Formats: sequence, structure tokens, C-alpha cells
Amino acid sequence: MKKNIYQPVKAVIEEIIEETATIKTFRIRPEVEFSFATGQFIEVTVPGVGEAPFTPSSDPGVKDRLDLTIMKAGEVTSKLHSMGKGGLLGIRGPYGKGYPLDQFKGKDILIVGGGVGLAPLRSLLFSLFSGLDQYNKVVLRYGARSPADIVYKALLPEWAKQDKVDLLTSVDVGDAGWQGNVGLVTTILGAAPVDFASAIGIVCGPPIMMKFVTLKLLDLGFKPCDIYLSMEKSMSCGLGKCGHCRIGKYYACKDGPVFTYEQLKDIHDIWD
Amino acid sequence: METYFLKNEDLLKFYERIAQGYELYVPTRVKSPIKKDECACKSDLPTDDFLLRKFSQIGKEEIVFGDYRAVEPTRAFFTHYKEEVCEYFEGNDVREKKERPLALCGIKNCDLFSLKVQDFVFLGGNEADPLYKKRRDDALIIAGDCPYFKEVCFCRAFDINPYPTEGFDFNLSPLNNGYLLDVASQKAKIIVLSLKKLLIPATLGQLSGRGAKRESVNMRMDAHLVPHKIPKKEVLQDIVLAGYNSGVWVDEMRTCVECNGCVFMCDTCHCFLLSDDTSSGNARKLRLWDGCLLKNFTKVAGGANPLRLRYMRLRNRYLKKFDFFVENLGFQACCGCGRCIEVCPGKIDIRRILRRLNEEKHIPTG
Repeated sequence: MKKNIYQPVKAVIEEIIEETATIKTFRIRPEVEFSFATGQFIEVTVPGVGEAPFTPSSDPGVKDRLDLTIMKAGEVTSKLHSMGKGGLLGIRGPYGKGYPLDQFKGKDILIVGGGVGLAPLRSLLFSLFSGLDQYNKVVLRYGARSPADIVYKALLPEWAKQDKVDLLTSVDVGDAGWQGNVGLVTTILGAAPVDFASAIGIVCGPPIMMKFVTLKLLDLGFKPCDIYLSMEKSMSCGLGKCGHCRIGKYYACKDGPVFTYEQLKDIHDIWD
Repeated sequence: METYFLKNEDLLKFYERIAQGYELYVPTRVKSPIKKDECACKSDLPTDDFLLRKFSQIGKEEIVFGDYRAVEPTRAFFTHYKEEVCEYFEGNDVREKKERPLALCGIKNCDLFSLKVQDFVFLGGNEADPLYKKRRDDALIIAGDCPYFKEVCFCRAFDINPYPTEGFDFNLSPLNNGYLLDVASQKAKIIVLSLKKLLIPATLGQLSGRGAKRESVNMRMDAHLVPHKIPKKEVLQDIVLAGYNSGVWVDEMRTCVECNGCVFMCDTCHCFLLSDDTSSGNARKLRLWDGCLLKNFTKVAGGANPLRLRYMRLRNRYLKKFDFFVENLGFQACCGCGRCIEVCPGKIDIRRILRRLNEEKHIPTG
């Protein structure tokens, strides 16, 4: 059969995990085996409603199901949030370039996530955890608006138990039960136990957070070529054809969505 | 490339032969109410338009030789304004559409230049667009010289000539009482085998006669373009990048009514949006032409819109055409057809914008 590049394959919602008031993780089972590299994204079709790009939050090693951690934000995600187990979705992909794990070997890795931006990073963490021996250290710094906005609440303590893994969460505004750090995620980066001059920095979150984290990392001594940013723009086709996600000479869908700051630093208004 | 002479009275037979195997479109004239277009160079230029229409649906007396490019962009034949690209979950996985192959007559060199951009987008990259590829592979391009040009034409500013020399199957050049017919592709050669009786190999005299006519159009257009001071193609990338913070963008967008006509008439624009639709029963994906001058082009679900203001959208369009494509394809995504100038109710003129950016870069004020 000739392949149609726009054709989604069927996937059934098997499980839904409520992460926060506005974020759910959908565990879906595609009707055919589906592989992706960590950092790559897929286009998810809500039948008859529309399509939107998401980076899976599950372990790329698992081929028969995918986790998608999705915040209710627009038309497609609102409809998705109203769907239950057994619901039918379509998926296309994977698209783009993922994280170049080979280049992280032997290094300290500082991962900085903001809000639902931890979703693609969870997939990265699973990949790193499956070969922890190869990396010097994995340090995660996660920022959320409030304790109620933290995703993967049950998983975070599990991750922190591993050797070589150092994890700290900060919230912008605490509550009565919160005993952790209060403040923007940028305030807990300076004390991260990594060698700034040689470490890899990986950032994913809202644009404003990515901007200030990147500036902070540069300030701490990170090299622009060692800072990896997830630039998820409005991406319609995923194939480098529809033209929506241009960043300078790149398309986020084809050349990204993961870029180094070195690639982007001379382009105007990248944080808009 | 073989070149033949085809008499005026045999042109219809040529078309009829093509129409046997193709859905043939030919130029027809649309009379303009404007009597003459006076321009800065003081020459009177023609104002009529040409529209490509189905050979099978028009009176043969309506067929003309298009003197310059048609109103509609050529890309409209290869990606439709709104069309289904797939059905999903039910029915056929791949919608094999039964379309007759296209034969497009009246395609000009600017249009052929634009097709290179469309090919790059829809055939290139990681995967080709199957609908576009099928139409493009099957199509027969019958190009033609431009014996005249419109006031808005500026192909020569970017070293694109008003006559094709490659990228077609056939090319027609009007000469005396007929046409010189260039036969460029294997597809065209096979068709010519059955037309040998109509065709006489072109003489050297005819070829040099065509050369002189072409040179004459070149000279007239060059004279026409002098007052516009359009920058050379080699500096386009530099001036749009250097002009990022220029006031020209805001200034030029004062009269924009956000109709997006410039984008939809543009032959090198290609952006589209995939949309899901269930109105006809099965779920299907539609591909709709989209354009970066529309307000929500880059808006994301959370509400953020990097191109929220009109001037940002104009600048984005120029960066796409003159930076992105120069960087990725090696040349600009503008063929100088002037369709965007002609369609604009706000009289926004790409020639003027490029000239202003160039002047700002090279003649700094204050």
C-alpha cells in the first residue's frame, strides 16, 4: 500500500492519570507498534476536532504503548480531556530530531523542567535511567507554579532514590504542606552539583522560563552548544511543509524540536 | 532540445492532440476596464488579464496566446485551495483520486521559477506529498515566452528572463505567422512523433529572430524597472536581516486590510493548515491554504502568538522569502510576477519595500 504522509494510525486510550487540575497523562495503545526516539514528537488527532503536536512522556523502549502528558489549553486538548478510557485517537510520526544521547555520555547532565514541560523530559529521563552507567550524573531541577501543579508526584521520589540522580523541585508559591524550595526554578540552579563548564543543560518549559533558565545557564558557564532547548512551535504538518513553525532558517518540526542554544542564539525573538 | 516551427492555423491541432491524453488548460483573455497602465518609465503597458481555462469547456475562438503570466498562481493546479488529503479510520486508507493528468499551457518563466520552490517544499524534505507528486509527475507543462509584460512584472530584477529555457515539456515562442515549439522532455518527444506533419524544424534564421524578440522584451522591461531601483537578488537576504528593526515594516502595513490576497496570489507561497472534518461522514483531513499574514498563523493553543502584530507578520513573510529560502534552497522565494502588487487593495508594493530596505541599509540617515 502506498504510504500517505497525512494518514494517522489508530490508538486507543487505555488509562488516564490525573496529574493536576489541568494536566492528564493519557496512556494509549497504537494498533501497530510505534517507535520514537526521546525528544521526537508526534501529531495526535482527536477525530473530527483537530490535530496537535505532543512529545511522548513515556519510555522510548516501550513499543506497544505511549504516554502523553497533556495540559488542557485549546480546542483539541479540551476535547481530549473530556474523553475517557476506550476513546479513539489518531497518531502520526514520530517527527523531528530527538536528544543526541551519544553526546551526553560521560558528562554531568542538568535537566531543567517547568510545569508540563516535564513531560518530554520524563521520556528523556527514562532513556537516561536505562543506561545510567554511561553518564556521570543526572540532576533534575523542576519548577511548578504551586505544589498542586506538580506532575508525576508519585514518580519523582522514586527517581530521586537512584544513585547518580539528584532531584529538587521548587514552586513559585508554596502552601501549608509544602516543605520544599519556594522560588522560580532559576533560583536553584546555581547550587546544582554539576561542573558548569562541561555539563549538558537541557531545558523544557514555557518560553519565558526557557529564556531565563538559558540566560542563567550561560551565566553559570554553560557553553551555548551544550544547552538543549525544546522549541515547540505551532506545528501543523510535522513534515517541514506547512510553514508554521519556522525559526530563522529552521523548521521546529524538521530541524528540531530540540535545538542547541548555539543554533538559535543569533535569531531574533526566539522566546516569543 | 529540438525546436520546430508550428503555423498559427495548426496550433489548435496541437492542442487537440494534447487534450487527448490530458486535461488541458489554455489561456483566455479577460478584458480590463483600465485602458492603459502608465508607469514611471512612461511606456504604456497592457492591462488585460489572462485566465487559464479548460480547453474542453470553452469556445475555440476564446483561446489566445497569453502575453504574460495568468492571473492565478500556477501552484493552484498542484495544491488546491481546500482539498481532502486523507480519510482515516474508515474507508480506504489511501484515497487514490482519479484525476486526468494536467496539461498547462500559458505557463511563463516566473511560474516555472515558482514551481522550483513548490517542488522543494512538496517533493523534498523527509517525505514527498503524494497528491502533489502525482499531479506534478503526470503534468505536461507547455510554457510560453512573454512578448509583453505588465506594469507589476519585475522578473528581470532577479535575473529571471521573460522567456523559459528549462523546466518545461514544451515551450511556445510567437514568431511571424506561428510559433517556435521547443520540445524538451521525453514525454513531449513522444507527443511530437504523432505531430510530425504539422512541424517543420526551425531554421537558424527563425531561432535568431526569436533571440532578437526576446532581447527586445528584456530591454523594454529593464527600462521599465530602472525607476523602481529594486535591489539585486544577491543582497536580498542581507537587507531583510539588516532591516529587522526597520520602521519600514510598520510604515508599509498601515494600509493592510489583512485580506491575505498577497499570500494567496503568490506563486511561491506554500503554507497550509491541516484541518479535521467529519461533515461528510467519515473523518478526513483537509489541507487548506494558509498564510503568514493571517492573524492566527503562529498562534498556539495556550494563546501565545509570536506574530501578533501586523508588521511582524509582514517582516516574517520577507524573512521567509529572502532569508529562509536563500539559506535552504539557494535562491529567493519570489519570482517577480507582481501578482501580490496587483491584488493588494492597500497598494503595498514588494518592489518599494525591498528598495526602502536596501536604501536604509546602504544610505543610513542621521
